[in-house]
Amino acid sequence: MFHPTIWCDSDDYRADVEVVDPKKCLEESCKPKCVKPLLEYQACVKRVQGDESGHKHCTGQYFDYWQCVDKCVGPKLFAELKW
Amino acid sequence: MWTLVLLVAFALLGAGVTGLLSFSTVASADEAEHGLACPDYPWPHDGILSSYDHASIRRGHQVYQQVCASCHSMSLISYRDLVGVAYTEEEAKAMAAEIEVVDGPNDEGEMFTRPGKLSDRLPQPYANESAARFANGGAYPPDLSLITKARHNGQNYVFALLTGYRDPPAGISIREGLHYNPYFPGGAIAMPKMLNDEAVEYEDGVPATEAQMGKDVVSFLSWAAEPEMEERKLMGFKWIFLLSLALLQAAYYRRLKWSVLKSRKLVLDVVN
Repeated sequence: MFHPTIWCDSDDYRADVEVVDPKKCLEESCKPKCVKPLLEYQACVKRVQGDESGHKHCTGQYFDYWQCVDKCVGPKLFAELKW
Repeated sequence: MWTLVLLVAFALLGAGVTGLLSFSTVASADEAEHGLACPDYPWPHDGILSSYDHASIRRGHQVYQQVCASCHSMSLISYRDLVGVAYTEEEAKAMAAEIEVVDGPNDEGEMFTRPGKLSDRLPQPYANESAARFANGGAYPPDLSLITKARHNGQNYVFALLTGYRDPPAGISIREGLHYNPYFPGGAIAMPKMLNDEAVEYEDGVPATEAQMGKDVVSFLSWAAEPEMEERKLMGFKWIFLLSLALLQAAYYRRLKWSVLKSRKLVLDVVN
């Protein structure tokens, strides 16, 4: 399903709508670009769920995913803020 | 001589082995140990001739005062430093007058309290480090005067940290009293998430989203750590330009003087 570009600017003409944090909004819109590491992370979560030893964790996949999102959000975020 | 060569060879071999050994321990270290690398944000004051966004510094100071100052000191900044940067003299004087300062012995030898002046430093939330640690579960909220210079990639790191509080990955549990933040080395930070949407009401009416507050407070902290930045950039530009002209002049003058020697002719002839 094609999603239209999410507008993440905080200048909302609808006065009754509460402010939207541009960073969270941009992170959502960057998710499609980072599907591969997200799926890796979700696969890891499934593997770890059954673990009893308590030593297994998904930090690596988590970092890969968030690094991808950060790289996508970084250049765009400040354009949405007041400066 | 050969004993020296042999010694050096053994030393290098020893260093090489140690290096290889250290690799084996690094492999088992968690990447969380260094924290997630923060992205580079396009700060408006990054350019070679870019100044600070002073409106942002003013808002950032407001965020610091209302959100951060209850735990973090900024003991190297005085109220007078804010004059002409974020506030007018009257505004800064009024802000200073709101705090109580303990002042030196009077004629009777007693310490007394008085309202703050421009020359006073920003107030400290705790009397000393021990008091700060005691109030924060053993963790010391660092002084923020130089924080953007005191951390690697400081500006981006602080912004990423403040806006990066997330749920931990599967399999990671953080003990009671700490919070998960992927950017913090180790992942478990004592500070809870402090920036929440509309925690502060900006004087100039800018919507105070988490990202906006993060950007403003980091602009303020960048200024606090490097107040000389604008003057430095102007000086740098001026002197690099002037010295390049001087370089051109020096090069021309050198070649001029040397041209006598470089254009001389030597003739080898045979005397019969």
